[in-house]
Amino acid sequence: MKSLRFIFFVLTSGSLLFLASCSKDDPKPENIKEAITKATFTFTPVTGSPVVVNVTDPDGTDGPINRVLSGPINLVKNMPYTLTITMINELAPTTAPEYDVTEEIKKEKNEHMFFFAWTNNTFSNPAGNGNIDARADLVNYNDKDDNNLPLGLSTSWTTINATGSGKFRIVLKHQPDLKSATSTFSDGESDLDVEFDLSIN
Amino acid sequence: MRVAFLLLIFMPLVGWAQPCSFTVSGKVEDDRGMPLAGATLVLTKEKKGVIAGEAGKFEFTQLCAGKYEVEIRYVGYQTITTSLKVPFNKPWIITMQSDSTSLNEVVIEDKHTNLAVTSTYSSLSGKLLEETMGKSLGESIREIPGVNSIQTGPAIFKPVIHGVHSQRVLILNNGIRQEGQNWGVEHAPEVDQFIASNIIVIKDAAAIKYGADALGGVVLVNPAKLPTEAGIGGQLHTIVASNNGSGVISGFLEGGSKKWPGFGWRTQGTIKKAGDARAANYVLSNTGFEEQNFSLSTAYHTEKSGIDIFYSHFNTSIGILRGTSVESIEDLANAMERTVPQYTTDFTYDIKQPRQSVQHDLVKINAHIEKGKNEFRFQYGFQSNRRTEYDFRRGSLREIPALGFQLYTQTLDAEWQRTHSPRWQSSWGINALYQNNNKIDGTQTIPFIPNFDHITMGLFVVEKISLRQWMLELGLRYDVKNYDVIGFDLNNKLYHSTIDFQNASGTVSVKRRLTSTSSFTSSFSSAWRPPNVAELYSIGTHQSAASIEYGLLLSETTSEVRPYEKSGVNVEKAFKWVVGYKLEKPRFTTEITGYVNYIFDFIYLKPRGITQSLRGIFPYFRYTQTDASFMGIDFFSNYKINSFWTLTGKASYLRATDETQNDYLVFIPANRVDLGVRYESNPEKKWSWSAESKLRWVANQSRAPQVITPRQIIEAQAQGIDIVAQRPGNFDFKAAPDGYALISLSVGATWKLKSSKCEIRLSADNLTNQSFREYTNRLRYFADDVGRNITLGLHYSF
Repeated sequence: MKSLRFIFFVLTSGSLLFLASCSKDDPKPENIKEAITKATFTFTPVTGSPVVVNVTDPDGTDGPINRVLSGPINLVKNMPYTLTITMINELAPTTAPEYDVTEEIKKEKNEHMFFFAWTNNTFSNPAGNGNIDARADLVNYNDKDDNNLPLGLSTSWTTINATGSGKFRIVLKHQPDLKSATSTFSDGESDLDVEFDLSIN
Repeated sequence: MRVAFLLLIFMPLVGWAQPCSFTVSGKVEDDRGMPLAGATLVLTKEKKGVIAGEAGKFEFTQLCAGKYEVEIRYVGYQTITTSLKVPFNKPWIITMQSDSTSLNEVVIEDKHTNLAVTSTYSSLSGKLLEETMGKSLGESIREIPGVNSIQTGPAIFKPVIHGVHSQRVLILNNGIRQEGQNWGVEHAPEVDQFIASNIIVIKDAAAIKYGADALGGVVLVNPAKLPTEAGIGGQLHTIVASNNGSGVISGFLEGGSKKWPGFGWRTQGTIKKAGDARAANYVLSNTGFEEQNFSLSTAYHTEKSGIDIFYSHFNTSIGILRGTSVESIEDLANAMERTVPQYTTDFTYDIKQPRQSVQHDLVKINAHIEKGKNEFRFQYGFQSNRRTEYDFRRGSLREIPALGFQLYTQTLDAEWQRTHSPRWQSSWGINALYQNNNKIDGTQTIPFIPNFDHITMGLFVVEKISLRQWMLELGLRYDVKNYDVIGFDLNNKLYHSTIDFQNASGTVSVKRRLTSTSSFTSSFSSAWRPPNVAELYSIGTHQSAASIEYGLLLSETTSEVRPYEKSGVNVEKAFKWVVGYKLEKPRFTTEITGYVNYIFDFIYLKPRGITQSLRGIFPYFRYTQTDASFMGIDFFSNYKINSFWTLTGKASYLRATDETQNDYLVFIPANRVDLGVRYESNPEKKWSWSAESKLRWVANQSRAPQVITPRQIIEAQAQGIDIVAQRPGNFDFKAAPDGYALISLSVGATWKLKSSKCEIRLSADNLTNQSFREYTNRLRYFADDVGRNITLGLHYSF
């Protein structure tokens, strides 16, 4: 009886102490590797100044704020352009490797590929409507991965010799173990999927 | 007849010749005819007692002729005091009435599991519990009228009481508040159902002792008392099932000590392994699971005091249907439109992503001491809950969990109970809880919920008064609660906030004994529940939902976390009224419970619209408050046709309404009826048989909100319309499935040896291999429910 009372006392006071004593440090932020918060598309003409459009989503995929697209893409008729794409992830610290998504994609080029689609035949080269609907359709890739398959951070475009307008869609697919000479838009997951208005003057 | 007549004539003569060699034997059973093994029968004056053995059988030997006073006791049943006239030459069948009054005594021994005198509760024990063996806790308590489950596939069941679930249903595992990440509907309680010797569901106000937040009810999982006498006993169960190729082994060993009477111990363990479940027409790929649990307990009890120590470990890994993982609303639309889920492959035991892994540990120490009219109880619990969830992720992230939390909980409960007189009992108590949640570093996602410290202190007083046929119970409680939160918002910026809550709650309940076999109860209670951390702060996606979820405090315009004080968020307040009528005759039992639960500022996940990101468009949900009401009736009835045949009927009716919007709520269990017929041969024979057939009919949920399919959202979006924002009110992605009827059959045989028992049971669930979908199963969007399942169980106890 007495010993039980003692146990009672020890347990009560002991666990009360346990309850009281606790302090804590700030948690470490995670590097959010998978997000893209800003993508910039630069159309550099053979002559003249580059045309730059971008899309931003500061809170990443899961945030309630909608993405904001600039644009439209205003291109000059009958002009060769080089399109370069850069992406950053502002949810990671600027010093972290995850901040520069472009660099990450270059590193993982064997698993990534950009696909393009456009309407109203706005380009003379490549002609057609892009390779989202059919992989074999022509897109002029300037970069290749280790397996000599296209990547798409840099591509070449020549506008038609007429005024025109339409849509221009850019999709970055992540195709781990799936990317091949025949892999298509429907393989893998979309890391980026945006559509701009395009006009040719 | 003639033999009996002759015996009647000659017995007294024999008795006269040998005055102290009479034997009285018989059986103790409950009002449903179930044997009560372990009931004690004491000849009060002679201080001679026996314990009913297997099948409730008992025997008094070497009795002298004459009159004896006998007291029959069994935990959870009314104590019977009667006189016995020896010689008594027939089998003496004693029927005990289950009663909350005597259940109150259980509690005195099994600390902190007290039931109020007047409470409305249902229990699952004995044979009925045994028959659910191998199933999870959430699945087995669906046998109780008014209790349902919200399901994520074949292995994840979360209890729903009177239409509400998660934080509103408190689970007491061995007397300790079960604390895990229970905000998620796909987070099932981390309890090994094999620990339980009985499971009690309290559906009304009696919950006040356990906390203010049990708006829906309380589930008590009670293990059997540890032995206090010398000897070793144990049980072994093996169960195999055809549907998912599962195997379950569970058992325990227990004993007492000759040297130290009052000392007892038990060691228990369970291993489960299951592969993919099968729907009627296809394999439900990646729905396998495994579980490894064990527990150790020891206790020392004297007549007036005792101490118990308990440790349990629970470890599970559960796969979630592969076809549910989607990356965008386009994928979601496709997944919902498929007749067979994507990625359906051949049966396998492999568990791949998406999957979850949970480890739960519990240490509990409790003690009680009785001094005159006073009794003191003390209980301390420590729980560790570690949860990781794995999704399909890119490259190097594949084996890294997308969600990971470590939660530590300490609880301290102390109670002083004073029995002023047989008619008046008071208890005062204090509950304290300290909880600490931390993200597991390295997930490389914004944590779904923040890190937090949570402290709750509560004081309660409960007065029980009985006056003739009336019993009255009054309870009052006051709680203070504090959250100290540190998390990351969607911009990955650190935020810090603290919130305090305090409130009072109370209950009044009365019970009136109408006749010796019937009673009426009525109870009214108020409860409050502060929003939990997940409801306040959650951000992002998690497994259960092919959607994004936002907490109450997340600003939709800036993605930042707003301070609580300025947010207009309120605590949930509930007023619940429960009335019950119970009739318990030896052959006929019926129980009707009606309830109304009105919850102000009820918190639920409401679909709000779509959000566009660089990856496409996603539907998003937001925790929202509304006033909601839950009204319903539970019905149970049991009729013993004769000593072999029993008929059972159960029904649950529920009507839930979003009162603010005058709308329906989603995932409210549909009305259902269960009918059963059971045959049982004389359990006293060496071999006994039982067979049962059950029919479960579940109606279509007609009170379901409007439907907006993902396809409609996409099509509207293409025209620049946000259809979700345009059609206010609640909605669901898919219409409620049709009603269904399932048939199950089971046969069992029991073979009794000298001091042991062997049992074999063969049962078939969904006998006709019906393809159906259950409204409260979250997988209904993607796949059919489980098809035919044949189970074979072998049970051995000694």
